[in-house]
Amino acid sequence: MADDKIESVKSLFTAKSAKVETNKGEKYYENLYAQCRERLDNLKKIVPVSNNIKIKEAIEEEGVSRRDFLKWASATTAMLMLPASFTPLVAEAATLMNRVPVVWIELQDCAGNSEALLRSDGPTVDEIILDIISLEFHETLMAAAGHQAEKQLEDAVETFKGKYLLFVEGSVPMGLNGQYGTLGAKGETFIDHLHRVAKDAAAIVAVGSCATFGGIPAAAPNPTDAKGVMDVVNGKTIVNIPACPANPSNMVGVILHYVLTGQLPELDSLLRPKFAFGYRIHDNCERRAHFDAGEYVEEWGDEGAKNNFCLYKMGCKGPMTFNNCSIVRYNEGVNWPVGVGRGCIGCSEPDFWDKYAYERPMANANIKAPTGGVEKTVDQFGLGLLTAAGIGIGIHAAASAVAGKKDKGEA
Amino acid sequence: MKKGYKKVERMTPAMRIIHWVNFFSMIVAIATGLYIAAPYYQTLIAEPAVDKYVMAWNRWGHFIVAIIFDVTSIVVAYLYFFSRFEKPYKKVLPTGKNIKEFFAVLVNLITLNRSKKFDSSHSDSFNTVYFTIFHLLLAFMLFTGLQLYVEGLESGLSSIGTWWPSMLHIATDWTIPFSHFLVGSSVQDATIMDVRIVHHRIMWVIIVWVVFHIYYQVWRTIFWQEGDIAIAFGGSKFVKEDKKAES
Ligand code: SF4
Ligand code: SF4
Repeated sequence: MADDKIESVKSLFTAKSAKVETNKGEKYYENLYAQCRERLDNLKKIVPVSNNIKIKEAIEEEGVSRRDFLKWASATTAMLMLPASFTPLVAEAATLMNRVPVVWIELQDCAGNSEALLRSDGPTVDEIILDIISLEFHETLMAAAGHQAEKQLEDAVETFKGKYLLFVEGSVPMGLNGQYGTLGAKGETFIDHLHRVAKDAAAIVAVGSCATFGGIPAAAPNPTDAKGVMDVVNGKTIVNIPACPANPSNMVGVILHYVLTGQLPELDSLLRPKFAFGYRIHDNCERRAHFDAGEYVEEWGDEGAKNNFCLYKMGCKGPMTFNNCSIVRYNEGVNWPVGVGRGCIGCSEPDFWDKYAYERPMANANIKAPTGGVEKTVDQFGLGLLTAAGIGIGIHAAASAVAGKKDKGEA
Repeated sequence: MKKGYKKVERMTPAMRIIHWVNFFSMIVAIATGLYIAAPYYQTLIAEPAVDKYVMAWNRWGHFIVAIIFDVTSIVVAYLYFFSRFEKPYKKVLPTGKNIKEFFAVLVNLITLNRSKKFDSSHSDSFNTVYFTIFHLLLAFMLFTGLQLYVEGLESGLSSIGTWWPSMLHIATDWTIPFSHFLVGSSVQDATIMDVRIVHHRIMWVIIVWVVFHIYYQVWRTIFWQEGDIAIAFGGSKFVKEDKKAES
């Protein structure tokens, strides 16, 4: 653990800015195009491993028109920061999504990320694609249970050794030797489960805030000593897609990027794909003009709220949160938190429950005093300090006045 | 000048200018900083958002005084070691003489000036340590503040070129793990919010520092009767001739 700590500190010291190069030059894209072309041709030759659903049919069945699908393809191309000429490749890659096997395991969580991509009344293209990817194993979704499920996992890991993408949802409880979370007929701990499945994965994609940074299970006092995947698994390529829940667009983005290029997208210092987390919510927020003007919603339902004023005073954490919600939004661009009139709670940042989600400005929040003990708002803490100093000075001044010895003025 | 008293120079004009520039910058930094942290007054002008720009002006003012603080801090850091007038670092080195003087001054304060066994004509160890603490706090505010500032330049671009955010990252990224350590957390991964919390808390520590600083200088003036308060204005104070000879 000490090593991990050192590693994480080291990575912070060498942190690169989230800068995203949106234009890498013609040469680069030409090469990339050829590379992608070749990869897609190779993938096409592979017979889909377990399901043979055709994306085109699936999409039609769900009532999405070809035109909508192409619209989606060009939007996704832009999201992945590829030139428009890549759109046909992206559309093609989407039809080949079932060539890359995916194993999805669930640890300490609420299954919210699975829910996010399954439970919408009108499925979006992103969700349909996630439905038809070659999901070899998903505890929550599959029919099998117990030994049968166990067998299925073993088979999947064996068959696709070194080829599958491992999606992890949920944090890893490290306390009590992992006894806080066990699963399967053998009562395997989450830690062992994760290590076993991670060993042969091509790469790990941690989805949701729990799997990335510990999320809500890791909130103070973190009884189970919950940790994110990157703090538990070493020596594996890991991509973090935080947020609560992770945006299905970003999940598809990562898989699609992998299908298309055979590589994972560029990551920032917290291992988040830059195409999604290289932006600050605040910088692309439609209420930003009200922020700069000093026009804030003061309480729910007031005049400001009716006029779509900025939600900073209601605790919006858009200014400190990196995510693309304000750009891609949710449910195929329908809306997003600030759009419906409530602030961002910084759900895609580490420690978000304790340090972002208190729904008031940081200065008025109940954040633990450095002494650990009592929860105090930052300003109360400051005023307390000031009062203590004031009392000290008062006593000293009074004592000086009564008993102090003034140096003689005259020589 | 009173008979039997001798005038001693304590602050050069440059030092005094820095002192008052810092004084005004501090007031602006605190007033705007509190607004940025939690806007405490409402914008009432009935005009479209583009015209009033209240938060933006507050942030602008905050950044401008931050830059002024940057410059004075660099000058102070230079003078600290290379001043031809008085090199403060010599007074904080833990030598026997300095430690003795530090405690002598502390005892003077605690005993309400009943014991005064040190030379009060020049800057003493206690005052210099106190001064050093202030500048360390201020330096930390500058580093954390610049980190919070560069956080918003996530594109890596700025109006004066890409070198500026890159340089700020190199200079201030260490404040993230450091602040995480200070704030404490149930989560292993540091977050930029830690920097924000620390930046805000240190402001309170600095305010406390200022309160004691003003009190102590006034107290010295009243009880020592050497005109200490005048140092910040006229640059000099007065000490008894015989006392000077004695020490
Ligand atoms: S609502 Fe939030 S994200 Fe939007 S401008 Fe205000 S503080 Fe920024
Ligand atoms: S707006 Fe903020 S809280 Fe909402 S999903 Fe996006 S990052 Fe999370």
